[in-house]
Amino acid sequence: MRPELFLRWAGFVLAVAVLAVPFIGSPSLADLTFRTCTLAIIAISWNMMAGAGLISLGHSGFWGVGSYVAILCANHFGIPFLPSLLFGMLGGAMIGAGLALITGRLRGIYFAVATLAMSEGLRVMAVMLPDLTGGAQGAYLDSALFPGALAVNIAAGCGAVLAACFSWYVSRTRYHYAFRAMRANERASQMLGIHPMLYRVSIVIVSGAMASYAGAVSVWYGGYLDPGVAFNLHITLMAQIAPILGGIYTLAGPILGTLAAAGLGEVTRQWLGHVEGVSLLVFGMTLAICVLYLPKGIQGGIDRLFRSVVKAPLADDSTPTRTTR
Amino acid sequence: MSELLSLSNIRAGYGESVVLQDLSLVVREGEMVCLIGANGAGKTTTTRVLTGLLKPWGGQVAFAGTPIDKVAAHHRVELGVSLAPEGRQVFPNLTVDENLLLGSYSRRARPQRKRTLADVYELFPILASRRMQKAGLMSGGEQQMLAIARALMARPKLLVLDEPSLGLAPKIIVDVYRAIVQTAEQGVSILFVEQNVRAALSIAHRGYVLANGRIAFAGSAAELRNSKLVQESFLAPRRTHQGSAPIKAAPIGTQREGGFA
Amino acid sequence: MNLLPQFLIDSILLGGLYTLMAIGFALAFGVTRIINFAHGEFIMLGAYAAFWLFTGWGLDPLVVMPAVIVLGFACGWLLFKAFIERVLAAPNINQILLTFAIGLVIQHIAVILWSGDSRSTTPEYALKALTIGDAFIPYGRLVGCGVAVLLVAMLIAWLKWTEDGRAVRAVAQNSDAATLMGINVKGIYALSFALSSALGVATGVVVSFIITVTPFMGFPMLVKAVAIVIVAGMGSIVGMVVGAFVLAFAETGFAYYVTEGSGWAEGVAFVLITAILIIRPYGLFGDAEA
Repeated sequence: MRPELFLRWAGFVLAVAVLAVPFIGSPSLADLTFRTCTLAIIAISWNMMAGAGLISLGHSGFWGVGSYVAILCANHFGIPFLPSLLFGMLGGAMIGAGLALITGRLRGIYFAVATLAMSEGLRVMAVMLPDLTGGAQGAYLDSALFPGALAVNIAAGCGAVLAACFSWYVSRTRYHYAFRAMRANERASQMLGIHPMLYRVSIVIVSGAMASYAGAVSVWYGGYLDPGVAFNLHITLMAQIAPILGGIYTLAGPILGTLAAAGLGEVTRQWLGHVEGVSLLVFGMTLAICVLYLPKGIQGGIDRLFRSVVKAPLADDSTPTRTTR
Repeated sequence: MSELLSLSNIRAGYGESVVLQDLSLVVREGEMVCLIGANGAGKTTTTRVLTGLLKPWGGQVAFAGTPIDKVAAHHRVELGVSLAPEGRQVFPNLTVDENLLLGSYSRRARPQRKRTLADVYELFPILASRRMQKAGLMSGGEQQMLAIARALMARPKLLVLDEPSLGLAPKIIVDVYRAIVQTAEQGVSILFVEQNVRAALSIAHRGYVLANGRIAFAGSAAELRNSKLVQESFLAPRRTHQGSAPIKAAPIGTQREGGFA
Repeated sequence: MNLLPQFLIDSILLGGLYTLMAIGFALAFGVTRIINFAHGEFIMLGAYAAFWLFTGWGLDPLVVMPAVIVLGFACGWLLFKAFIERVLAAPNINQILLTFAIGLVIQHIAVILWSGDSRSTTPEYALKALTIGDAFIPYGRLVGCGVAVLLVAMLIAWLKWTEDGRAVRAVAQNSDAATLMGINVKGIYALSFALSSALGVATGVVVSFIITVTPFMGFPMLVKAVAIVIVAGMGSIVGMVVGAFVLAFAETGFAYYVTEGSGWAEGVAFVLITAILIIRPYGLFGDAEA
């Protein structure tokens, strides 16, 4: 069977499994699946931005915005579950638009630093506006509106599947080539008739909305939110590790990486979960090892295995922006 | 005259693009040799291979009879090769003086730094008057002088110049070329690459024409000047009325045997 | 009571500290063009070193500083040679992620070894203060600022007047031309990175008696250092000093003159970063890069 076909079938089976687990799986399996799904969403979201040459160090900002918008909708306006998710996405989209417009044409390091400033700035705001957000004490989601664990799990699963389908769809359109061109050289891409600002804003909006969705669903799952939880650096870290582990810029990469990272997380938790700081240490080392020795991640390993490069459309050898002097 | 520099069958380029297919040239002691070619022909690629900034895919670079392919770029200046790079590439936020001090960073040059500095300021009085100025604020011509002076601070046996006339007004080109000739008279061998063929041939002993990644023609300056290739490709056809000839660097000197003004 | 003298004193003392914090970071960034996201962790390591030597052997932080600096230099050098050197030519994203990961690893090794509890060194002078009129000058901060200024001055002198210092400046401006001078650029990178780490560690020693020491103290300081470098722009030491004092004054100003300002003060760095990126991305004193 051709590798591409195999991958499609594997994806389909995975999607079915993910959607089935909330119905037929044990609570602990459902919990693991939930966390894996939200991770998959932000991994795909991060990977999409990276594919356009935009490195985000502030993905926790989008997640946090989604969480806070959702909890505000519920607590202050009595908005139920599903609509609050949409509002969450809207919040993420607006932050994304703001970020893209403010950073203008900045690339590489400067863009990355801007995303960091954004997410940390949002965190400070969350702490300093207790009337709105509950401040550092945090807030509890109004349990009267809770739609039931099943609904929340399904929402996460659907979100993950939809995110994957969306990224697959984008990879098939000409937008994919526009983003690749932007990643390599934004100025040159302009000469190809690609309007960088338009593409940049749209990718950040979409990416932000996705990540915010994950954050919004999470707050319904967890029922509690404070700035530390919402804007946790851990989120940004995992959003990066999963795509890199799986194979950055590729289609299946974020998903493969999410599975690997979730597995790694579970193993670490079982063995050494009682020691504080171990899991992040392990993930940090994983990230370093991937950057140094496995730049193409798991997908790269699979490609080598199959010889013929799996033509997952986002996969390529082109080198992204590098520092020149 | 012994062979000072020899490039043999150099094959080099960037990424997937081959710039030099099969380049061979020689510079002997005491000579002034020019390498002329059109924009993009590979002149700068050649100087980068020579100085070790670019690793060639094939061929050999030898200096004073010894192959130096394995010698790292930052060690080549110790051997006696010094480059005034394309675009001058002075250190913009450092003063003229500091730029020159850096020129004599190498172990070879450092002990004689004071004397070399004095010599260089004498050769380029305009630099002496701008000693404490930030190099980035100087004019193109001044920066070119600085680049050459800085290269000379390394006390080289072979001075390589990459397009010394680029972007300079004709009068400044005259000054720069005069300095080059004076340097040669001190015993420094010179290899310079140029687009400005008239200027180059006005001071060089010999020359090579680089085209399509190879040497298309080689010979004495006179031979080059009279060759069909050079005449058609580089020297614009003369117009019917006089006085409209392109840049003439001739005042410095025509052939070496005639001396110079 | 007039707050102004106190405000000025606090701002100036803080500015001195911030200059030290930023200059170490800026050195590595300016020369290698790599943002060292682990710089905060070097500060943290310096602070812990001072803490353990103080608690264990009763040694004053200022006394141990030279030794700790040398250790920091060596660690920085090793780190560079082992890992960072490999990504010098790699895409931005690899560099960013690697130093990010290294910072994370160091941070969590510290958490595992030393727990997340707050610590602090308390040498004699840190507990005393001068009073001049309305103003109250804590000795700890005064000494800290003094040491910081001294170290910064030493660095600037080294850069300006020594052979290697000049080589470092040359490499920062044009690494190819530097190679042509006979400078071993890779060696200069390692030297700069090691110096940067040494300065980071020194910053940690200095702040060990001024702020609380935890494994997580590094990150906020990194963000401030980044803010300062971005405000200043690359390539200007003067700009950096200005940037450090701008940040110090802004933060202190918030703390003094805005209600609940000390909470918001943490956000000042981010606002500055955003503002500069909008108005003048290359910094107030920087040269525009291609």
